[in-house]
Amino acid sequence: MKFKKIFTILLATTLVMSAALTGCGKKEETGKDGTNPTPTKAASDNQEGNGTKAADKIVIFQSKVEITDQLEACAKAYTEETGVEVEVWGTTGDDYLQQLKIKLGNNQGPTVFSLAPGAESQELKAYLADLSDLSFVNNIAANMANEIDGKVVGIPYTMEGFGLVYNKDLINASKVTNYDSFVKMLQDQKAAGVNGFSLSQESYFLIGHILNTPFALQADPVDYINKLVAGEVKLQDTPEFVEFAKFMEAIREYTNNPLEVTYDKETGDFATGKSASIHQGNWSYGMFKDYDVTFDMGMMPLPVTGNDKLAVSVPTCWYVNSQASPEEIQAGKDFINWLYTSETGEKYMMEEFGFIPVVSNMENPNMDPLSQAVSEYAAASKTISWPMNEWPAGIVDVYLKPVTEEFFTTNMSGTDFLVKLTDAFVQAGQ
Amino acid sequence: MRRKKDNAWYALFVIPLVYIFTTVVIVPFLIGIGYSFISWDGMPLNEKTFVGMKNFTRIFSDQRFLTSALHTVLFTVISVAVINALGLFFALLVTGKLKIRNVVRTMLFMPYLIGGLILGYIWKFIFTDVFKMIGETTGWNHFFFSWLLNPRYALAAMIIVTTWQMAGYIMIIYINGIQGIPEDVIEAAKVDGAGFWQTLLHIKFPLIMPSFTICLFMTLSNCFKIFDVNVSLTGGGPNNATEMMAMNIYNEIFSLNNYGYGQAKAIIFFIAVASITLIQVAITKKREVEM
Repeated sequence: MKFKKIFTILLATTLVMSAALTGCGKKEETGKDGTNPTPTKAASDNQEGNGTKAADKIVIFQSKVEITDQLEACAKAYTEETGVEVEVWGTTGDDYLQQLKIKLGNNQGPTVFSLAPGAESQELKAYLADLSDLSFVNNIAANMANEIDGKVVGIPYTMEGFGLVYNKDLINASKVTNYDSFVKMLQDQKAAGVNGFSLSQESYFLIGHILNTPFALQADPVDYINKLVAGEVKLQDTPEFVEFAKFMEAIREYTNNPLEVTYDKETGDFATGKSASIHQGNWSYGMFKDYDVTFDMGMMPLPVTGNDKLAVSVPTCWYVNSQASPEEIQAGKDFINWLYTSETGEKYMMEEFGFIPVVSNMENPNMDPLSQAVSEYAAASKTISWPMNEWPAGIVDVYLKPVTEEFFTTNMSGTDFLVKLTDAFVQAGQ
Repeated sequence: MRRKKDNAWYALFVIPLVYIFTTVVIVPFLIGIGYSFISWDGMPLNEKTFVGMKNFTRIFSDQRFLTSALHTVLFTVISVAVINALGLFFALLVTGKLKIRNVVRTMLFMPYLIGGLILGYIWKFIFTDVFKMIGETTGWNHFFFSWLLNPRYALAAMIIVTTWQMAGYIMIIYINGIQGIPEDVIEAAKVDGAGFWQTLLHIKFPLIMPSFTICLFMTLSNCFKIFDVNVSLTGGGPNNATEMMAMNIYNEIFSLNNYGYGQAKAIIFFIAVASITLIQVAITKKREVEM
């Protein structure tokens, strides 16, 4: 009958359409990040049962946007040498962690990815493969590899350090060693028409990094954080933080409002001599390339309670996805092994990525002045750690930044500031 | 026979939509209700603990969420009023005797075509850098300063940007309503001696009631759910003064990793938005008149 015919056609169309639509949906979802929709599993399906024979394709997804182009070149070199195809997924950096978690959660995760060792890697530990058997693991500098439950799961990228990046023409580092001399420096610079010190509005550059210092000065920072979150200790009762609050008050009084300063402006003002010092790390050196910098710069510690050590640690580690097939895990490990032990790999890590060596068999002869400073402090063991990686997840953006914004827009006292920060830690740890 | 054919045509257009709506809205929604009873960080391999109603009871002591609800209500009430007033005003303007009305219409509609995220970034530049510059050159510092650093002005900035974006779109719906009024009714009113205001209040407004229903519904639900402008313009700052409910939920789930708790907030959010908009539709529907 006529109706039956129409109905059949209709049914067929609907089915075809829904198939097409779901197809489109998938493609779009992955296409957005400039990635290929091919699931990584497909590559290894035909090799099932071959034990740990490596897959012929791996996918890398990592958060350090500064090295994206160089990493792609490196991946090409790897393909040329070994024939294994390497695909690098792009990210804008801001939502990397969310993207990674969504992909891992849907079993479409990359083979090799990056995380900050600490709270991040702890949260995702079920997804991290054991890398203890890589040949160069014993050459990694002490305490730099990420170990969970006695197994090495994360291979460090590089060392990074932060502190006061200062203009050697304007500031004599040997004279800024404690609170009084720091304030005197701010006053002198202000009198000379220069902004003495600058933070910027981005959450980590505003509060995350600078608040790390008093935490790192505690005898056992991780234990301190646990007690703080549990409400057993309070920032306002801890001497390092009380002095830190005085620093913040001085910064509010004598320098420009960091909420009106972006990272670009902060580094730009420094490069053009309008700011004498900024609270930044060696990663910011790349920002000065666009400027014709005419002075020498260096990096010195933030002298909270006379601190003379730079905050140096591993910002990111490589991890291999434990949920990938055994062949892929093997291929991922092979890639990391190649990166750290082959000549080409070393060349890319040192020259192209500009990393500070973390394994004993590498060295980097042409480091920029800031990396040089970090490396010197590390060699002299004058470093403090990064307990900020152990803070409750998301706290810097969601809790610490708003409190700091309030501090810089009102006349809140340093003590009230500490009280609010303490509350933030208790709330975020719930 | 005829009837059956009609049904087939209906099905042709409806079934694909129903299919999509079910898979991308209904099913995730039901799964979401399930998630709201567990404590979980969102990673499939990590532990899920059943906590019953605890996620829901926790909401009512969550000061930050309640404050963000307050901001949302304040923002919505003001924005809905301003957007609709302006939209209606523009609609009356461009259906009148204005010579350049087509150009005006296009220009007023244009902001709607720009995405909320981009709009937010453009206006962020205006409110911080441009305003500060104007303030410094003219000396009117009490008005032209960096608006986004002041809690009250930051909320005002959000309202301005949302209005700028939505008013043109709402205008189109009102234009449609106004053009649907038969000429003869207006003429009859004129003959009877009705002035501009009398025509507007007693003839035009009752006849474009259906447009009011649609416009109020759209602005209400859009303003409640505002997220893109929030993220790009203020990011919730300063000091959380402009954190709307949608953003609070986003932060809870994706930054603080409290999947279950965030989901519970989202359910409450859904119930609030759905009931408020349904009440509004019921009220305005009643006042619609048949010709």
